Amino acid sequence: MKSRILYGVLLMVLVFGLVGCGKKSAGPACAPNCEYKDMVVGFLQTGSEGGWRAANSASFRETADQLGLTLKFYDSQNDLARQVAGFHQFNQDPDVNVIILAALETTGWEEVLKEAQAAGKVVVLEDRRIDASEDMYATYIGSDFAEEGRKSANEMCKLLEGMAGKNVWELVGNVGSSAAKDRGQGFRETMGACGIEVTKSQTANWSITEGKEVTEAWLKETQDVQGIFAQNDEMALGAIEALKEAGLTPGVDVKILSVDATAGAFKAMLAGELNVTVECNPLLAPQVYEAALKALNGETLPKWIPSQEGVFSFDMPNLQEIADGRKY
Amino acid sequence: MSKFRFSFNLRKITESRLFFPLIALGAILLFDLIAVPGFFRISTREGNLYGNLIDIVRNASTVSLLAIGMTLVIATGGVDLSVGAIMAISASVAAILMNPYVLATELPPHIMKFMSDPNFTYQPLWIVILATLIVATICGLWNGLLVAYGKIQCMVATLILMIAGRGIAQLITNGVRIQIFYEPYAFIGQGWIILPFSLYLVAIVFALAWFLTRRTAIGMFIESVGTNARSSFFSGIDEKRVKLLAYTFCGFCAGIAGLVASSNIKTSDAFNLGVAKELDAILAVVIGGTMMSGGRFSLFASIVGAWVIQAITTSMYAVGVPAFALQAIKAVVVILVVLLYSEQVRNFVQKISARKEA
Repeated sequence: MKSRILYGVLLMVLVFGLVGCGKKSAGPACAPNCEYKDMVVGFLQTGSEGGWRAANSASFRETADQLGLTLKFYDSQNDLARQVAGFHQFNQDPDVNVIILAALETTGWEEVLKEAQAAGKVVVLEDRRIDASEDMYATYIGSDFAEEGRKSANEMCKLLEGMAGKNVWELVGNVGSSAAKDRGQGFRETMGACGIEVTKSQTANWSITEGKEVTEAWLKETQDVQGIFAQNDEMALGAIEALKEAGLTPGVDVKILSVDATAGAFKAMLAGELNVTVECNPLLAPQVYEAALKALNGETLPKWIPSQEGVFSFDMPNLQEIADGRKY
Repeated sequence: MSKFRFSFNLRKITESRLFFPLIALGAILLFDLIAVPGFFRISTREGNLYGNLIDIVRNASTVSLLAIGMTLVIATGGVDLSVGAIMAISASVAAILMNPYVLATELPPHIMKFMSDPNFTYQPLWIVILATLIVATICGLWNGLLVAYGKIQCMVATLILMIAGRGIAQLITNGVRIQIFYEPYAFIGQGWIILPFSLYLVAIVFALAWFLTRRTAIGMFIESVGTNARSSFFSGIDEKRVKLLAYTFCGFCAGIAGLVASSNIKTSDAFNLGVAKELDAILAVVIGGTMMSGGRFSLFASIVGAWVIQAITTSMYAVGVPAFALQAIKAVVVILVVLLYSEQVRNFVQKISARKEA
C-alpha cells in the first residue's frame, strides 16, 4: 500500500515535471508583442582584458538601464569552461529569454546551443563569431575582423609607401580567437598589393607586457623592420616601449598600426608614437538589444549585422577633438 | 690524491640544490647557442649592457621576486596563489597615488596639462612606493592570518585574494587602465645602471630574504615547520608565527614585483598585470628543487628557476616558434626539466658520481 502511494507521488512529480518543461520550451509568453521591459537578458561576457572589453561591458549595462530591460551579467573571466557553465545556467534559468554570447573560442558550442534551442531561448552572438550551424542562433552582431585586417593592410601600405624594404612584424592576439584569426587573414589578403612581407609573427595574448617582451626579443635579432601590425592597441603600446628602449623612434623609424581605437591608442597617436588605429566599435549594445527583441517577436534576421567602424590616423588635424569626444 | 679530491667535489656538486636548475638552464642556453646565431651577443648602449641574456634576467625579475617570497611559503608546506592579484593591486595603488586625476570625468585645463607630464606626480615617489608596499604587505598578512590563525587550507585561503584581488585592483582605478608618465617611477622597471635596475632590486630582496633566513633561526624554523609541523610544535616553535611571517613576506615581495611590472610597461594594467604569474612563481620554486610538501629550500635555486622559465620563453621567441605551438612546446620543455628532478634521474647521476669516487 505504502509503496503504491510512493509510486503515485513519483508519477505525479514526473508528469508535472514534464509539463513544466513543456511550458518552458513554448517560448516567451509575450510574443509577438514583446517589449524591452519583457526582455530578460543573460549576457556571457568573455572577461575583462582591456579598454575595449570594458567599454563593451559598459555599453551593455548602460543601454539595459536606458531601455528598461533586465540584464544578468555573467563574467566568464577568460575561462572557456566557466563560460560554458554560465551558458548552461542561463539555459536552465526560466526568467531568461535572451542569451547574448561573446564567445571565448570559435568551436565547441553545439551542445549548449541545442540546449538553448530546446529551452526556447533566443541566442544572439556579439563581437565574436563562432563555428556553428547558422540556424542555431538568431544573428551575429559585430565587426568584420577580416575587413579590419584588410583595412589595416591598406593603411600599412600607405604608411610604407616608397620604402625599399617592407618588412612588417605582426603581434597576434589569443591564438584561436576569431579576432586574431580573421585579422591576420584579412591582413594577408591585401598586403601583397604593395609588397608587404610579414617577416615575424607571434602571439602576445592581447597584453602590453607580452607585446613588449616579444618585440624586445625580435629586436635583438634584427632591426630590419619598417612596420608593426598589432592586432590590438595594448600590444602596440608594449611594442612602442620596446622600440624606445632599443633606441628607435616609434612612429618614425618603425610605423605602428593597431586595431581597436581605444583611449590608450589615441593618447599614443597624440604623442606621435602610434601611426594609425583601425576602429573596432565596442558600443554594440543598442544594435544587439534591438536585434534580440526582433528575434523574440519571431522575426527572421540576417545572420550577420555588421557594426560601423572607422580608421584614425595620427596626422588627422582634429585628432584631439575626436579623442575627447570618444566614450572609450 | 688529486683525483680523489676531484671526485669528492663532483659528488658535492651533484648533491647541491643548485645542480639541477643550473643544468636545466645550461641545456636551454646550449640549445640557443646552436639554434639561434647571435643569441649571446651583448652590446653596450650608452654604457648599459643590452642583449638576449640581459633580457632573460630582466624579464625574469618579476617572477624572481615572486619566487623568493613563494619559496618561503612553500617551504612551510603552503602555497600562495594570490601573488598575481597582489601585483595588480599594488600597481593600481601606485598609479592612483601618482595620478588620481584620471578618475575625474572633467578637469580644469591647468590640471589636464600635468596628466602627461613626465615630471608630474601627485605624491612624491617615496610615499608612492612606501604606501604600495604597505598595502601589499597587508595583503600578505591577510593571507597569513587566514592560513595560520584561521586554519583555512592555504590553497583555499589564498584563492580568495587571487579572485577578489583583481576585482579590488579594478575598483581602485575605477576599471580604468592608468597610463604612467612619471619618469622616476618608470626607472624601477625600465632604468639601467649598467645592468637593468630591476636586477638590483632582485638582489636586494634576495639579500634581505637570505639574511632573514640564514643569519637568524627563522630559516630553520620555516624548514622544520614544513618538514613536520607537529614535532616542531613540540620542540617549541610557534608554527603560526612562522607561517604568518612567510605569507606576509610573500605579499611584500609581490608588491615589489607589482612595482617592477607596472613601471616596465608604464601602465597600471589591473586586468592583465600578473595574470598566471603565481603559477610561474610556483614552477620556479619547484624547478629550484624545493618540494611542494615543504621543508628544505634554496632561495638562489628558485631564482635560477625563474631564469629557466624566462629562458624558455625568450628562446621560443628568438627561434620563431609559430604562435599556436608556443604553449605546447613550452610544456614539453617544462616536462623535460621537471623530469630531471625525478628520483630515478637523481639516483642515476649520483651513482655515476659515486662510482667515480670509488
